[in-house]
Amino acid sequence: MTWFEQEIFYVDPLAISVGICIAFFAVLTLFYSWGYMPRTRGSLSYYLYILLTLATALGAVFASNLIVLLVCWGLTGVFLYLLIGYGTKERTPATAKKALIIIGGTDAFMMLGIALMGHLSGSLDIQHIRLTLDHPPAVVAFLCLLIGILAKAGAIPLHTWIVDTAEDAPTPVTAFLPASVDKLLGIYLLARMVLDLFVMTPAIYTVLMAIGTVTILWAGMMMLVQQDFKRLLGYCAVSQVGYVLLGIGTGHPLGIAGGLFHMVNHAIYKSCLFFSGGAVEQKSQTTDVERMGGMARQMPVIFVTFLIAALSVSGVPPLNGFASKWMVYQGIIETGREGGVAWILWLVVAMFGSAMTLAGMMKLVHAIFLGQPAADRQDTGDQSEKTPLLMYIPPVLLALLCILFGIWAYALPLKHLIFPIFEQELIFPGIWQPTLATVLILIGIGLGLILFISGRLAKTMRQTDVFIGGETLDAVPGMRVSGGAFYNTVQELPVFRSVFSLAQKGALDPYVMGSRITLGIHRYLGNFHTGILSTYLSWCFLGMMILFFVLLFR
Amino acid sequence: MSDPVVLLPCFVAVPLAAAFVNSLLGKRIHWLSDLLGSLTPLILLGLSLLAVQAVRADSVLVYQVGGWKLPIGIAMVMDGLTSFMLVTVNMVTFAIAVYARDYMERYTSKEMFYTLFLLMLAGMNGVIVSGDLFNLFVFLEIAAVASYALVAFGTERHELEAAFKYAVMGTVGSLFILLGIVFLYSVTSTLNMADMGQMLAKQKDTNLILMVSVLFLMGFGLKAALVPFHAWLPDAHPSAPAPISAMLSGVLIKTLGIYALSRIFFNVIGLTPAVSSILMFLGTLSMVVGVLLAIGQRDLKRLLAYSSISQIGYVVLGIGLATPLGILGGLLHLFNHSVFKALLFLNSGALEYATGTRDLEAMGGLRKKMPVTSTTSFVASMSIAGMPPFGGFWSKLLIIMAAVQAGHLGYALWAVIVSVLTLALFARVIKNAFLGNLDDRWQGVREVPAFMQASMMALAFICLVSGTLLIPGIREVFLNQATEIFVKGSDYSILILGNI
Repeated sequence: MTWFEQEIFYVDPLAISVGICIAFFAVLTLFYSWGYMPRTRGSLSYYLYILLTLATALGAVFASNLIVLLVCWGLTGVFLYLLIGYGTKERTPATAKKALIIIGGTDAFMMLGIALMGHLSGSLDIQHIRLTLDHPPAVVAFLCLLIGILAKAGAIPLHTWIVDTAEDAPTPVTAFLPASVDKLLGIYLLARMVLDLFVMTPAIYTVLMAIGTVTILWAGMMMLVQQDFKRLLGYCAVSQVGYVLLGIGTGHPLGIAGGLFHMVNHAIYKSCLFFSGGAVEQKSQTTDVERMGGMARQMPVIFVTFLIAALSVSGVPPLNGFASKWMVYQGIIETGREGGVAWILWLVVAMFGSAMTLAGMMKLVHAIFLGQPAADRQDTGDQSEKTPLLMYIPPVLLALLCILFGIWAYALPLKHLIFPIFEQELIFPGIWQPTLATVLILIGIGLGLILFISGRLAKTMRQTDVFIGGETLDAVPGMRVSGGAFYNTVQELPVFRSVFSLAQKGALDPYVMGSRITLGIHRYLGNFHTGILSTYLSWCFLGMMILFFVLLFR
Repeated sequence: MSDPVVLLPCFVAVPLAAAFVNSLLGKRIHWLSDLLGSLTPLILLGLSLLAVQAVRADSVLVYQVGGWKLPIGIAMVMDGLTSFMLVTVNMVTFAIAVYARDYMERYTSKEMFYTLFLLMLAGMNGVIVSGDLFNLFVFLEIAAVASYALVAFGTERHELEAAFKYAVMGTVGSLFILLGIVFLYSVTSTLNMADMGQMLAKQKDTNLILMVSVLFLMGFGLKAALVPFHAWLPDAHPSAPAPISAMLSGVLIKTLGIYALSRIFFNVIGLTPAVSSILMFLGTLSMVVGVLLAIGQRDLKRLLAYSSISQIGYVVLGIGLATPLGILGGLLHLFNHSVFKALLFLNSGALEYATGTRDLEAMGGLRKKMPVTSTTSFVASMSIAGMPPFGGFWSKLLIIMAAVQAGHLGYALWAVIVSVLTLALFARVIKNAFLGNLDDRWQGVREVPAFMQASMMALAFICLVSGTLLIPGIREVFLNQATEIFVKGSDYSILILGNI
C-alpha cells in the first residue's frame, strides 16, 4: 500500500526526445487549427482540449509511476474522443465511438498488465522495474501492455480506428493525434518496455517483427485501393508503424534507434501530409480522389510540401524517411548475423512495403495535384476561399524538416534526439553518407537540367500538342485520367481479391467481430429472460441447490 | 453535541418522523412535502458526516435502545463501515430528493411519493445502523415494502406487473433471510450480531452454518441482484419513476444486499474460503452476464438496470477477494457506483422528461438541446466505463490489482473484458442519445428544470473527484475505517461487546 508515496515524474533522454516532439506538434497543430477550424463559440473548448492533450501526453511521457502513466495515457484517449467529435461528417459520431472503444478498451488491458507488473516486481516505478520474460505471468503482462501500444500506435489488428478517424475527424486533429502524438506515445512506451522495463527474449522480438511485417503488408495493400485521400493517408500511417515495430523488434540497438528515428520522421511527414491535405480539402471541398485533380496550379506551395513528404514517406533518398528506413534495414541485417533466415523475409517485406507506399503516394500526388480537375469542379476553382497564411506555416516547416533530417541525419536529429537514449555508441556498418549523396544527387539533377536547357536552346527538338487520337482534351471530359481508376486493377489480382473481400466484410476488424459476437451472446441470453415469474423463481431455487451442493461437497 | 452516541437513533427516527408528518400534513400544505423530502436527507447527510468524525475518535459506538443492557437489549452500532455506508446512502439520497422535486411534478399525489421515499430511507438507515439481526430484517422489510410500492407508483400496466414480480421475488428472498435468522437464533439463543458471532465461533455444527450460509447467499444475493437471482431487477428498476430507479440501483440493492451480506458473512458467521470463492464466482458471473444482457438493449433504463447487475458484480468480486486491497476496491466501487448509476438514472429521467421516450434508437443529437444532461451523462459514462481520472477508474484499478495480487488472474481478466464491454455499452448510449444530427421531432426539446440540473451536476462533480478518496490522509478517514471492519472479521464482536 505504499504505492501512493512514490516518485511521480522522472526525466531521461528518451522522455525528453519524445516530449520535445510532442510539444512541437502541439504548437504546429494550434497554428494550423487557427486557420482551419471554423471560429464559433464552441471552438474555445477545442483549443482547450488540444492543450489538455498536450499536457496529458507530456504527463504520460515523463511519468515515473506506472499508474500516473496509465491515467495520463487514458486521458489522451478521452480527449481524442472529444476532439474527433468536432468532425462534421455523417459518420463522425460512429467513428468517435469506435476510437473510444478501441483506445479505452485496450487501456483496460494495460490496467491488467500494470497490475501484474506491480505484483511481480513489487514496485510500480519505472526506474525500479526490470522483469525477465521467462515466465508466463511476465509474458502476459508484456502482452497486455503491447495490446495498449498497438491500439495507440495503430498496428494490426487494432489499427482500424486510425483509418476511420483519418476520414471523419477534422484534419488538424488527425495530424495531431493519430498521426503524431498517439504514435509517439505508443512507440515511447514500447521503447521504454524494450529498453528498461523488460529483459526481452528472442521469441518476443520475433512476435514484434511479425506484427510489424504484417502491418506493413496489410496496410500497404489496403492503401492502394482507397478512394478517400485522408483514408489512404490513414492506412499509410498504419503501414509506417510496421517499420517502427520492425526496427524495435530487431532488438539490435541500431534497429531500435532506427525505429525511434522512424517514429519521429513519421510524425513529421505524416503531419505534413495531413496538413497539406487539409489545405487541399478546404479548397476543393472534397476528399474523394476521383473528384480532385489539377490542384498544383492553384496551390503550388502545398503541392511542393506534399510532394516532399510523399517522397519522404516512400523512402526516397536523401529525405528523412530514407535515413531511418536505412537504419531499420541495417538493424534487420544485423539480426541475420546470428543465423536464421527469417531476416531475409523481414527485409524483403520491408522493401516491398516501401514500394507499395511509393505507389500509393504517387496515386495521391497524381490524383490531387496533377492531371485534370474533375468536370464538376473545373469552373468553381477560383471562387473558393483563400488558404490562410497560418495554414501554410506547418506544412512548409515540416517539409523543410523532412529535408534537413534527411541530409544532416547524423548531425541533427540522431545526435541530439536519438543517440542520447542509448548508453553505448552505435556503429553503422552500412555506407550511406547523406551529405555526399545529396551533393551527388544535386549534381545529377543539375546535369540533367543543363542537358535539357541546352537541348531547348539548340532547338533540335520539335514540340507539339499531346496526341490523343485526334480529339482535343477539353472537348471530351471522359478522357480525363483520374487518379484512382488506374489502381483498381490491384483489387482484381487473385490473392488480393479474396483478402479485400474479407476486409470488406469486416472479418479482420476485431471491433466488428467483437460486436457481432457480443450481440450474438446478448440475443442468446435475452431468450431466457421471458418475463415469466415462475421461471425466474425456479432459477433462484436452482441456484440455491447448486450453492448448497457446492458448499456440502467442496 | 456532548455524546456522539445519541446520533445513532436519529438516523432512523428523523426520516420516520418526517414520513409521519408528511403523511399527515403533506396533502394540505404542499410546500411541506418538498421541504421535508429534501431537508431530511440533508440533515441525515450532515449527521453522517458527524458520525464519520465520531468514529474517527472512538472507532466503535454502541447505542442501547431503551437503556437495556447488551446482549439482551437492542443495539445500534456505529463503526467505520456504518459511517461509510451512511454517508454514501444519505448523500446520494439527498441529490435524488432534490431532483425529485421537479421531476415528480408529473405524477399525482407527490406527497405520497415523499412518504414512501422517506420510509425507504428510514429502512435503509435502519439496516445500516442495526446491531441486531432481527432488527436488521425488520428494517430491510420496511425498505423493501416501500420500494415495492414505489416501483408501482406510476400505476400503469407494466409498472404494476413489474412491482408484482418484484414483490413476489423480494418476499421470497426475505423469507429465506428470515429462515436463516431463525436457524441462527435456534442455535445461539441470541439475536445480537456481536453476541451471535461469539457464540458461532464456539459452535461445532458446521452443517447448520452451511445451511444458513446458503440461505443468506440466496436471500441477500437476491436483494443485491446477483446472477442467477437477478431476474426481478431489469423489470423493477426501469418501471419505477426515475428518482426511484436511481434510489433502487444506486443505494437500495447495496444496502439491503451487499452491506447486509458482507456484514453477516464477515462479522457474524465468519468468512470461510469456500464462501469467499462463491462470492468471487457469483460476482464475476454477474459482471459478465449483466453487461452482456445490457449491451443490446434499446430501452435506456433497462440497459442501465442490467448494467447495475454487472457493476454489483465488481463490488462483490472485490469484497469476495477478502484482501484489504480488494475490500478497499470493492467499497470504493460501491461508493462510485452509487454515485454514477444514480446519476445515469437521473440522466435517463431527464431525457424521458424532455423527450418522452426512453428508446435509444429514437433519440439523437440532443447534446445541443440539453447541454447539462449531456455533459453529466458523459462524466457518469466515463466513470462507469473506468476511464481516468473519474472515480470508476480507481475502483476498477484497485479491484483488478487486488485480484492479481490474490492470484486470481482469471477473474482479473474477466474484470478487464467486462470493462471493455461496459465502455462499448456507454459509448453507444452517448452516441445514440446525444451525438449526431438532431431529429426534427426534438427541435422543441428544452433542458430540464434547474433543480434537476443542479442535482445532476452535483453528482457529476462527485464522479469527477471521488478518486481523491484514495489520497493518503483522506483515505484513512473514510475508506480505511470501513475496510478495517471487514479485515477484523470475527474479532469485531469482541470490539463491540467490550465497548458497552
